[in-house]
Amino acid sequence: MKRIIPPLLVALLFAGQVVFADMNSAAAHAFLDRASPAVGSTVHTPPTEVRIQYTEELEPAYSAAHVEDASGATVSTAAHVDENERSVLIVPLGALKPGRYKVIWKVLSVDTHITNGTFSFTVAP
Amino acid sequence: MIRLTHGLAALGAATLLLSVTVSMAHAHAVCGDRVFPATLTIDDPGVGDELSLPTIQYLPIPASGGGPSGRSVDYGYEWDKTITQDLGFALNGDYFTRHDAGETLHGWDNITLTLKDELPCSEANEFMVSVGVIRLFARSGSAQLRSAGAISSVGSTQPTLYLGKGLGELPVDYLRPLAVTGEVGYQVSDSSHVSPSQWAYGASLQYSMPYLQQHVKALDVPEFFTRLVPLVEISFTSPTRGPTTGTISPGILYESDKWQFGVEAIISGNHATRLSQGTGVLLQFHLFLDDIFPNSLGKPLFDTNLWKP
Repeated sequence: MKRIIPPLLVALLFAGQVVFADMNSAAAHAFLDRASPAVGSTVHTPPTEVRIQYTEELEPAYSAAHVEDASGATVSTAAHVDENERSVLIVPLGALKPGRYKVIWKVLSVDTHITNGTFSFTVAP
Repeated sequence: MIRLTHGLAALGAATLLLSVTVSMAHAHAVCGDRVFPATLTIDDPGVGDELSLPTIQYLPIPASGGGPSGRSVDYGYEWDKTITQDLGFALNGDYFTRHDAGETLHGWDNITLTLKDELPCSEANEFMVSVGVIRLFARSGSAQLRSAGAISSVGSTQPTLYLGKGLGELPVDYLRPLAVTGEVGYQVSDSSHVSPSQWAYGASLQYSMPYLQQHVKALDVPEFFTRLVPLVEISFTSPTRGPTTGTISPGILYESDKWQFGVEAIISGNHATRLSQGTGVLLQFHLFLDDIFPNSLGKPLFDTNLWKP
């Protein structure tokens, strides 16, 4: 049984170090943290932009998103990373009518991981 | 989850690989909107740069023939390394201890090496497939355990198919976070008259709160709950001679950005299994090396994809 103690101790120390490091660094997959309009939400005032907050900072040149209406037509213009907050992607919108909209995004985090995803929101009259 | 032996040796070998260049990284078992977490009992359907350290399994051993009951505890390790973006290997095993009928046994289990290739996934359908070969090296573990019959004295080779399917297409929003994964393989014994060949198969049903939060409906709940993945896993083996045995393992995973913690109960899946073990527990701390060391240890040795030349 004594033989297991050194490797187990190393394992626990390593695990503890990683957990601690996780609280202080920013280098991982960029997953969606929150969005405005919120994922799956219904809004009554048509938004002028979709703002997506990620868990990591983004590479602007390789991060993009667009918004489609129920017919699949694009209703947004070119997305860009917020200059003041590089973990935020902004998607400008045209004038939205009531309906369901789908946001499609693909981003590259600063540590070179690519992630992509979709979510929807609804504009109600 | 596959077991890993000699964790320190694996860590040492891994350290030697800290010398590579920056490029775009792909890891985790990600397919479109779906992230398949590392499951504890069966393997997930992707390849990656990951480390399970430690995996601890506790199992009570029921009394038999009027004898006392006992217990076994495994301290498992697994190191997963990508060779290319789609091809990887895993080295795994465990340190085994058993206290039974007044006797104590302990020592290293046999080493297992897995070579696995991830086929291009269907992002729209959240469907991914991998194929692999698992090789058990019979004489790599403790001679004492082998002579006591606690670990296998016969090697085996197991071609295995891994599947993952997210159910994001379901019409009911709150069912879309559901996903299933599975694996099935045929373990070909090196000496089937000593140790029979067998089918090994398993599946998981999981409900991803991160998927719900990121792709379906953002709930106004504490962040802790948005990182949970409740799941149930089943895992069975059916030898060509002898009874089928297996377990049912309900549990929960917590997903951090760089690590995952999981806990599952281990419940005997049938009568034959109940004869040899009681209800136990499985704990695992799992590290995503591709996120912790994205530009060195956590990236493929060769930045290519065999399916995307």
